[in-house]
Amino acid sequence: MTDILVAKDVSKTYFDTVARDDVVALSGVSLSVAAHDFVSVIGPSGCGKSTFLRIVAGLDTPTSGEILVSGKKVSGPGADRGMVFQEYALLPWKTTENNVEFGLRLKGVPKDERRKITHRFIELVGLKGFENKYPHQLSGGMRQRAAVARVLANNPTVLLMDEPFAAVDAMTRQRLQEELTAIAAAERTTVLFVTHAIDEAVFLSNRVVALSGRPGRVIADIRIDLPRPRRWEEMMRDARFIAYRDELTRCIHGDAPAYRDHA
Amino acid sequence: MSLADTPAITSASQRPGRRGRFWLLSEALPFAVGILLWQALSSLNVWPRVLFPSPLEVAQAFVEDVASGVLLVNLGVSLQSLLLGFVVGAAIAVPLGYLMGLNRASRDFFDPLVNLLQAIPGLAWIPFAILWFGLGQGAVTFIIVMSVFFPVLHNLLTGIRMVQPVLIEAVQTLGAKRWAVIAHVIFPATLPNLMTGIRLGIAFGFRSLVGGEMIASTNGLGYAIFNAQQYFQSARIVVGMLAIGITWLVMDRFILRPIEQRTTMRWGLVREGIETA
Repeated sequence: MTDILVAKDVSKTYFDTVARDDVVALSGVSLSVAAHDFVSVIGPSGCGKSTFLRIVAGLDTPTSGEILVSGKKVSGPGADRGMVFQEYALLPWKTTENNVEFGLRLKGVPKDERRKITHRFIELVGLKGFENKYPHQLSGGMRQRAAVARVLANNPTVLLMDEPFAAVDAMTRQRLQEELTAIAAAERTTVLFVTHAIDEAVFLSNRVVALSGRPGRVIADIRIDLPRPRRWEEMMRDARFIAYRDELTRCIHGDAPAYRDHA
Repeated sequence: MSLADTPAITSASQRPGRRGRFWLLSEALPFAVGILLWQALSSLNVWPRVLFPSPLEVAQAFVEDVASGVLLVNLGVSLQSLLLGFVVGAAIAVPLGYLMGLNRASRDFFDPLVNLLQAIPGLAWIPFAILWFGLGQGAVTFIIVMSVFFPVLHNLLTGIRMVQPVLIEAVQTLGAKRWAVIAHVIFPATLPNLMTGIRLGIAFGFRSLVGGEMIASTNGLGYAIFNAQQYFQSARIVVGMLAIGITWLVMDRFILRPIEQRTTMRWGLVREGIETA
């Protein structure tokens, strides 16, 4: 398989204005993501996993190292790396339909084709009937579905997700996770997913990369070999799921004391 | 569907019940109560008529001033000054606001100047307004420009500072470049504050209009009020005052509010009010 996203030795140091000191957020993170793979990056809070994702998105610059997407060096944000945020980040002044078609409009896709694509993805995320609603008229779960459709409709090379389900309630979260695995499998989307929830990472991914506490370094890289589609009902009782989860838990928490001074 | 997945709150702007069969009555009610109280107070005959004219006297003066055309002429003059002053003031403040909000160098340059000048009330420009433009509409318009400019600029700058960075980042990862970010995120996001700035600008403009016309002009509603006092025509003073208030109500009701209802309220950015149970 070809690696569609390559991170080479990415480090990030920033100046903490409160502590008045340099903070090393990421230290030499290298990672390759194959096309159609679903990769989660996990780690304790402050490990720089979100910073890493932002660097991939081009919203932050690395202090050293580089990111290549389809062989091209990342130098800023772009439509090939669409991102879904925890805060939904839908435009309040656009309806569901106008939000979803936004990227296509920027690209100048003709109206008929744009409508077709937009409606397909609105239907895919289960928002049919809500095309003309504004974000404030939707629930949290529906907003996040719209945000996912918005990025997918734009056909990115990699779908970036930064703790997208952290703000919704537990029941909605499990539903959204199940829907996401189904969609990603059907659309063969390449996904880079950041979370601090180990079970979420195992449930969603083909591969989980664990970062250590600050400064974030890769401490584990595990392939998750579980059949799809995945359902929580089954997964929670699946011995392999539990084994993966325990392994990653040991890995992250066993590592923590060594970095306690920096936490 | 789980509870959290049911569609969220419906906004007030969507609830048709608010403007039911009795909307005219409910809008007229506060004014009716005000007029009744006023009539009751003047019926007590505590104060001389010239100090406290009754609603009836004011209505008579109103009819006379309308019939003679004086009221409409003065209203026309005042509205002209106000609109021209507002348009010029906003036409400078809005582009400058976006320039300052979006460009660091121009912000660093203009900010100290704006800060210095905004403490100076519009009316403080009256002496120079008279020297530069002479007594009349030109001077009044200039004072209004100076009064409208700062609230519009200040509120717009606040609005730009309040734009959520995540919205900008989200559209950037959808392929938006600088101009698309400005057109699709920053401009709509600043509309609530821009509307507040425009409201305040017009309100400040009205104050300066009346003050300016009293001192620096020979016509307009402010001048009419001032002039009526010289002749102890107190009912005429009230006619002028009410004309100002009603003009504002009409502008608010038929221009500003429809704009807000179609934009910021529809988007759920602002609400009419917060009703607690």
